[in-house]
Amino acid sequence: MLNKPTSLIKKHWYNNQTLKIALIVCVGSLVQSCASYGSHATSMRGGLLAGHAEASLAIAEEKDKQQKEVISSLDKGMLRRITNDYSGSNQILEVAKHEIEALHGVSITENLASVTINETLRGYEGDPYEQLLLHAYMAMNYIQLGQIDGARVEMLQANVKMMEWGEEPEEDAFLRYLEGIIYESLGEFDSALISYRKAYIVYKEKGGNQYPPAPVALKKDLLRLLAWQGLQSEYKSYKKEFGMADYSPVKQNKDFGELVVILNNGLAPIRSETAIPIFSSEVQQNLRVAFPIYKYPKQNLFSPQVTVNQKQYSLETVEDVDALARYSLEQAMPGIMLRATARAVVKYNTQHTAQENSSIAGLLMTVTNLITERADTRSWTTLPQEIQLKRILLPVGEHQLQIKMLNVAGNVVDIMDEKVVIKSQQPSFVIKHWNAPVPKKIKIIADKQAANKN
Amino acid sequence: MKSYTLRASQLVITLGLLFLISGCNPTVTRVETDSVTDLSGNWNDTDSRLVAQEMIQDVLSRSWLSKFNRDQGKAPTVIVGTVRNLSHEHINTRTFVADMERELINSGEVEFVASADDRKEVRSEVKEQDLHASEETRKAMGNEVGADFMLQGSINSIVDAVSGEQARFYQIDLTLIELGTNRKVWLGQKKIKKTVEKGGFRL
Repeated sequence: MLNKPTSLIKKHWYNNQTLKIALIVCVGSLVQSCASYGSHATSMRGGLLAGHAEASLAIAEEKDKQQKEVISSLDKGMLRRITNDYSGSNQILEVAKHEIEALHGVSITENLASVTINETLRGYEGDPYEQLLLHAYMAMNYIQLGQIDGARVEMLQANVKMMEWGEEPEEDAFLRYLEGIIYESLGEFDSALISYRKAYIVYKEKGGNQYPPAPVALKKDLLRLLAWQGLQSEYKSYKKEFGMADYSPVKQNKDFGELVVILNNGLAPIRSETAIPIFSSEVQQNLRVAFPIYKYPKQNLFSPQVTVNQKQYSLETVEDVDALARYSLEQAMPGIMLRATARAVVKYNTQHTAQENSSIAGLLMTVTNLITERADTRSWTTLPQEIQLKRILLPVGEHQLQIKMLNVAGNVVDIMDEKVVIKSQQPSFVIKHWNAPVPKKIKIIADKQAANKN
Repeated sequence: MKSYTLRASQLVITLGLLFLISGCNPTVTRVETDSVTDLSGNWNDTDSRLVAQEMIQDVLSRSWLSKFNRDQGKAPTVIVGTVRNLSHEHINTRTFVADMERELINSGEVEFVASADDRKEVRSEVKEQDLHASEETRKAMGNEVGADFMLQGSINSIVDAVSGEQARFYQIDLTLIELGTNRKVWLGQKKIKKTVEKGGFRL
């Protein structure tokens, strides 16, 4: 009689134990694949920050060989771009696009997982700003491949995306500005005007928060096209609004073309994990929850300066990815905390029941819950911190161009030389990424090795 | 409380297994090339084929052809110019242009000359022959046939979308322009409309 209950308990314990081990194995493998994004991103960015983009690319290419994760494809796309492989970049970014499309709709399993295990089990489709920048970077790839029609397609796709997002679409100011430049280069001035107008409205409404203040260059472009299209009353009212009474638009001139310099400067901020105890009224306990934060403040950027035909120009910030990223997390925070609290309660309850059954099961469950409580630190961290732009009117022909990077003290830390051919009434693009000067040491060593061989 | 938590842990296991299962091998089924396979709602082979069919029928049945035959006493020579993609998708316009070319050549009513890109390669070959080929097989430069007409066109699209639903409208315009006079002798048009609905839920 006495034996029976003990054997029952034993049997129960045994069953529970296998259950827990199976659970740990399952969850462990899942967590490994997703939660390590933070450390992966740090090592990947390390290459860029040391001026070795190819090292970063190698790290990125090692991950997600099946090309299923949006985040990995985005990183690969950006790094292939940085290492001048534009068609390769487009190929992988197209994969990312398809995967984002496949993540459309509310996932039942992923949402359950996010309130029982952790947030990293939710499919990552990118924040709206990241999804729009995906199109912007694909467009830049097409531009650099000389396929301006392809760039136009990307802009139209971004438009469809914004349309799908609803009544008040999440416009991206830089995307609209780029769209305008692309339309203008195709001679579609009416469409370009609409894009410039939309870009300006976004800068005006959100400038100073997620966006930098409206660039002077955009104001000039908007006025110029209004004048070219003969929309006099709108031209005058915008001129007044901008306080640019002295501005007079350039005339269309066959002897001139435009140089468009786009500099992707620095690196987007990276999310870190933090944990705090929060009090749950449901279980009358303090529970530990993990969530993502931006640990480091905005970095100081080196400022670029373009020299062409003995004239110096500074660039204007047209997109502040740093601000967009921080704003996006801020907006997502209430949802993250809500799910974290729900998750903590579920985890507490599993621990509690396991503890009631046996102390080992309870311990195992506690460990499992602790290990699995991870914050979702995923974001497109190979994006630049800021996108800077300058449009310069130049006479038709070949020009030497120099981009200098200056530190806070005004000293030149790096120089990029470029040759550019300006065509009549056409823009020529110079699009660069800059994080750190490419170490000259390596070049010297390589030269020495070559000399030794000879 | 107990039954609730037990369910939660079972759920976790089921979830884990679901994720593990998801890495299965792909299944391949061969289908006829003229079967309709609409997967994403994007431009696909069916659209391309429909456009080619419509355009070929139209271009061969119109009066420009008989008129040219009557006036000149020979089949017109056509060159394919650019078909611009102004739609919101990356569309390969070459597939239906190639379909059209094939049908037109096979009909025997129209001759085609190689397009600007193709000519470059052919010309360099003729140049090579000038140096290396034997005299009886050598082809001389300056014997190319000048085209009478050029085929140009564009694909445009209009997309209307709300969350999860899209109406896509494609319009394909092709124009045959007489070289020298710039007269438009034929305009072909094909319109395609689709609605795409995306599911609100997934596994």
